[in-house]
Amino acid sequence: MSQSLVESLKEYVVKSYAMKPNRLVIEVEASKVREVFVKLAEVLGKESFYLATIEGTDLPEKKLIRIDYFINLFKHDAYLVLRAYLPRENPVVPSVIDLIPGALAGELETHDLLGVLFEGNTYLRRSFFVPEDISSKGIYPLRKDSGV
Amino acid sequence: MERVKIIRYSPWLVHFNTGACNGCDIEVLASITPHYDPERFGVRLAPSVRHGDVLVVTGVVTKKAAERLKRLYEQMPEPKFVVAVGACALSGGVFQGSYPVVGGADKVVKVDVYVPGCPPRPEAILEGIIKLLKKLEGGDGDEPKPG
Ligand code: SF4
Repeated sequence: MSQSLVESLKEYVVKSYAMKPNRLVIEVEASKVREVFVKLAEVLGKESFYLATIEGTDLPEKKLIRIDYFINLFKHDAYLVLRAYLPRENPVVPSVIDLIPGALAGELETHDLLGVLFEGNTYLRRSFFVPEDISSKGIYPLRKDSGV
Repeated sequence: MERVKIIRYSPWLVHFNTGACNGCDIEVLASITPHYDPERFGVRLAPSVRHGDVLVVTGVVTKKAAERLKRLYEQMPEPKFVVAVGACALSGGVFQGSYPVVGGADKVVKVDVYVPGCPPRPEAILEGIIKLLKKLEGGDGDEPKPG
């Protein structure tokens, strides 16, 4: 499965490797995330995968934020992890909620905890998870230098 | 307190997770299975918080859950009792001091029985509820001392 998938996404793939058996990681440019989802829907069919969760990780030494989209591929009984790196100072990535409404919680969470901006998501707001007293100070708790 | 007498025979539980890791919740669910047969004590889950007698709180109380816990408690009819289950509901447990939490359940509502453990076994949870019932009968909730 991995070979054919990497092949069909080859114009976007920066790097690909196995995280563990049945869990393939494909690194893509952050600005291309939305296009990759469009392509995935084309290649696999809209009904044969779903976005399980979006995970953000702060990497202060590298001045980057890593963002992982965990995608369940039913037909292959496997996971695909779409990985992108964003600059920590200005973490912007295109939103996919118009393609995948289920991405709403993941995008709001990653925004609230790490300050990632999902461009095109009009529902983006603070205090989805983070309590008011923290968010009103502009603190993103999962940033390693947030001090909370 | 005629109503207290009724509760002694059939305490209906309301289970509320205020921020548990789900460990305690699984044990609470286990404790109401036929294997542990809680109905021999009349213990069962209330269909609505407005029918509940005993509020079973699991997990650390997060700042956001604190309001909800208070609101749930206020909706329960008198007389009502609270059993805090697990280290988190007692004191905050492993989440103590974290930015989104208030602390143990007793920061928000009056707690009658504390069941320690991380998570407590189903037997311990049922024992906590039984101790509450014994307390209502006028005892201190403890077994009679030998001798
Ligand atoms: S006491 Fe332990 S099992 Fe229970 S919610 Fe806390 S961490 Fe989880």
